[in-house]
Amino acid sequence: MALVLALLPLATGGSAHYLRLLTLMLVHMAYAVAFNLIFGHTKQLFLCLGALAGASAYVSVVLARELHLSPWLTMPAGILVAGALGALFSYVSVRRGLGTIFVGIVTLAFSLIFQNVILGLRDLTNGETGIVTRDLGASVLQRAPSSYYAFLLLLVASLVLYDALMRSRLGVAFRALSDDELTAELAGIDVARCKVAAAGVGSALVGAVGALYAYFSGLINPSVYSLVAVDIAVLITLLLGGLGTRLGPVLGGAAFAIIEELVRPFGQLNVLVYGALLIVLFVAFRDGLVAVPGRAAAALLALRRAGG
Amino acid sequence: MLPILIDGVVQGLQLSLLAVGITLIYGLGGVLNLAHGQLAIVGGVAAALLIGGGVNAVAACVLGVLGAGLLALVVDRSLLVPAYRAHGEERLLLGLVLTLGLSLLIDGYLNYQFPNTALTLRLPVPSVNLGGFRVRSASIGTSLIAILAFLVLLGFLRRTLVGKAVRSIIQNEVGAELCGIDATRTRTLIVVLSGMLAGLAGVAQGLFSSLGTEMGVEFTILGLIVAVVGGVRSINGTLVAGVLLGIVNAFASYYVGTYLAFIILLLAAMITILVRPSGLLAYWT
Repeated sequence: MALVLALLPLATGGSAHYLRLLTLMLVHMAYAVAFNLIFGHTKQLFLCLGALAGASAYVSVVLARELHLSPWLTMPAGILVAGALGALFSYVSVRRGLGTIFVGIVTLAFSLIFQNVILGLRDLTNGETGIVTRDLGASVLQRAPSSYYAFLLLLVASLVLYDALMRSRLGVAFRALSDDELTAELAGIDVARCKVAAAGVGSALVGAVGALYAYFSGLINPSVYSLVAVDIAVLITLLLGGLGTRLGPVLGGAAFAIIEELVRPFGQLNVLVYGALLIVLFVAFRDGLVAVPGRAAAALLALRRAGG
Repeated sequence: MLPILIDGVVQGLQLSLLAVGITLIYGLGGVLNLAHGQLAIVGGVAAALLIGGGVNAVAACVLGVLGAGLLALVVDRSLLVPAYRAHGEERLLLGLVLTLGLSLLIDGYLNYQFPNTALTLRLPVPSVNLGGFRVRSASIGTSLIAILAFLVLLGFLRRTLVGKAVRSIIQNEVGAELCGIDATRTRTLIVVLSGMLAGLAGVAQGLFSSLGTEMGVEFTILGLIVAVVGGVRSINGTLVAGVLLGIVNAFASYYVGTYLAFIILLLAAMITILVRPSGLLAYWT
């Protein structure tokens, strides 16, 4: 699959527009892989992905700009901040025994705090106007084919990390606690540690995507990392592909990239389309695209049996 | 000091009015409505458009409130049906995601239809002298609306038979049904009531500031925070939490500026949720 993705740029025939779309598709996929760890496997509804990605991006960009450091040196700092924040939210909510709703609200409040901090720290962040990241020294991320491969590298790395996690003891624990947390706890699994680990790793990955994206897009401002721009898109991507599966985020990312391109002509109405999608997907399409081949096969089998 | 305090109380009452609808639906239906702020905007925008169209101001406000209630009725009968069918955590999650989708639907439509417009109710609201302070009559008006709404609501819940049915369902849905209370119909009633309260909050907000179609998200989050800080099942709690947070916000805005004040408000709310998540958890575990 990585090979297919690696060869895809050739299929665009050198069109810069399509290559950009493909890169954005990889961004969605990478976000979804990260969110899959947080929400898909450990059921923590983080509504602050945009804020985490943005926190990482702003830490990296502001450090690079103020201290004249290479972005490659400041990105790890941003990633660390995102991971630490995610782990902190998870730790606090697990310790306080907060349900899905509270995690959602606390993280939603954090999203709003993030947006206001960025607007408030005008001297460092330029407020609404944002910061131009073009001349900070990460030109690899701005040139056309190399940026695509940078995000591909990140996606593959996240998937490898994901696989390693799922094969480790932690992965077994994830499967156990996604069925029933109480039973898992009784079976001797440290549910709190699992959740914090998933949230920490997932948030760090979100931070990594956010930081790379900051240099790719050439300009960052609060609306790049808003709730609709990141959280909603990632939630739809993950639901579209399939929660808690390895291929789900990748399939969902591809599907969402197509949908995003289809609704682009509608302008402001795209938000409406996303809302409708979210509702329909959550009610009628919970298993995602991943389950489609299985269902089709089952249907075919049933058809053949009926025929024979 | 006193003017800031008054300002805080006025803001706080406004916040409580915004939040009480969320408290009602959550307490009764187990659905946390993430589209509540959008309902408020719908009410306010409808009233503003009607006034702009030459309708009598009072009638327009009433129609705005009724419009928000009507929208809530449609939502209750269509969108929320799958959520009501589920139970426990699943219902919470479904409710959360479905209303999030609804909020995007409303936001998307409003932003498309009325892009970048700030609608006001354009009513004459002069300032009056009250005990030596200049107070905007709009502030008095919205505060009176909020207080009146709370009094009516509390009276309804305490004194009438339907209100008692509502309270019994909040305490125990199965028990209430065993006593012959129709939970579905009562729930619809409460959802409509909550929608009308949202509309009222939107109209009241429109009395002293302009309404942007993009303000729904902020309204929703503020309402949620107040409702949760107040313990989400308790109407008195919502009132107290709203007024307290309003006062915190007013003082913080005065001393440290708007952005920082908002951050302080949100942090205060986060900490309260973490330290005292009582009301809710007691109910769901």
